[in-house]
Amino acid sequence: MTERLSIPVLATERLRLRGPLEADFDAYAAFWAGPRTVFVGGPQDQRASWQRFAANLGHWALKGFGWWIVTEAGRPVGTVGLHHPPYLADTELGWVTFDGHEGRGVAFEAASVVLAWAARTQRPARLVSTIAPANTASVRLAQRLGAVIAGPAAHDPDAMTHVHDLQRYAA
Amino acid sequence: MGHRDIPVLETERLVLRGPEPQDYPDFKATFASYRSRFMGGPLNAYETWMLYAAEIGHWEIRGYGMWMVHLKETGETVGMAGGWFPAKWPEREIAWIIWPDKAGKGYALEAAHRVRRYFYEVRGWETAVSYIDPKNLDSIRLAERLGCRKDADAPSIDGSDAVYRHPTLAQLQGQLGHGIAMEIAHYRDPLFKPKGWALD
Repeated sequence: MTERLSIPVLATERLRLRGPLEADFDAYAAFWAGPRTVFVGGPQDQRASWQRFAANLGHWALKGFGWWIVTEAGRPVGTVGLHHPPYLADTELGWVTFDGHEGRGVAFEAASVVLAWAARTQRPARLVSTIAPANTASVRLAQRLGAVIAGPAAHDPDAMTHVHDLQRYAA
Repeated sequence: MGHRDIPVLETERLVLRGPEPQDYPDFKATFASYRSRFMGGPLNAYETWMLYAAEIGHWEIRGYGMWMVHLKETGETVGMAGGWFPAKWPEREIAWIIWPDKAGKGYALEAAHRVRRYFYEVRGWETAVSYIDPKNLDSIRLAERLGCRKDADAPSIDGSDAVYRHPTLAQLQGQLGHGIAMEIAHYRDPLFKPKGWALD
């Protein structure tokens, strides 16, 4: 048990974003088993959730960035991060609030701090969020973050590509 | 133990290393193929990459996982072997996959036998199982060549897989272990031609 992944800790006034720990898995799997995952590819069983959870850690190892677990008072309330599998043109910013934590600005606050981290340290050519138009909560959140719709997503024509304003967050 | 300090294991013909980004195309080719049908495949580009990332994440979470199996002579990869233990699984598994064009040369036998010894001797495992699709005859045959016995009393993952119980370290120290070592040695003999169909 020597060298572990060094995932940076990001903090806001009320939230702490840190690397995924095994103890987070139950909250993570509960979200992925539920109906709120309809816009993000779910619901899925525990086996698929575990693979996704492990893949989030592997993403950090392969790419140097990935998904954080968002905690509030030490408890996992959501997951926010960046991902970029090799077959996609753009790095993507994503957010999810676990059940019971939606509607409190958690995703906005966490996504803002991740956007700033990406703009300062990763500087991708383009940072996007792919969102189905019917996912109105996330569409609104992307707008609040300052993203602009560029058109249908290449890999998912039912969803729109929202392009984030990296300049604004680099400052 | 994170993914950065995965121990390197060696056998006569093989070097087992942690999965690296440059090994991904070999992994992808196999998981996009019919070869992966007993391991949840064939997978699309997204699923394949997520699974590869999960292979590395497993090392982070558990401190062990699946090694990439390389030929000592050429460095090329021929498959993967190691330990697998997702959340809520009944037991720790010893697992393997060999790329379709590398089957029949005894690589899975040699690699699985080596990782099992590592788990028993270094990590202190007392037992291990392999969860195998009942239609995956090559893997069932390999489990038997590794000395496994079907364990009808052990819980399976979801009822659709058969549980094969590996011999203990003590059991491997006798005739059984010698037999496995002898079979592996046969594959090193360039004149050795296994009878019948290619097996892992």
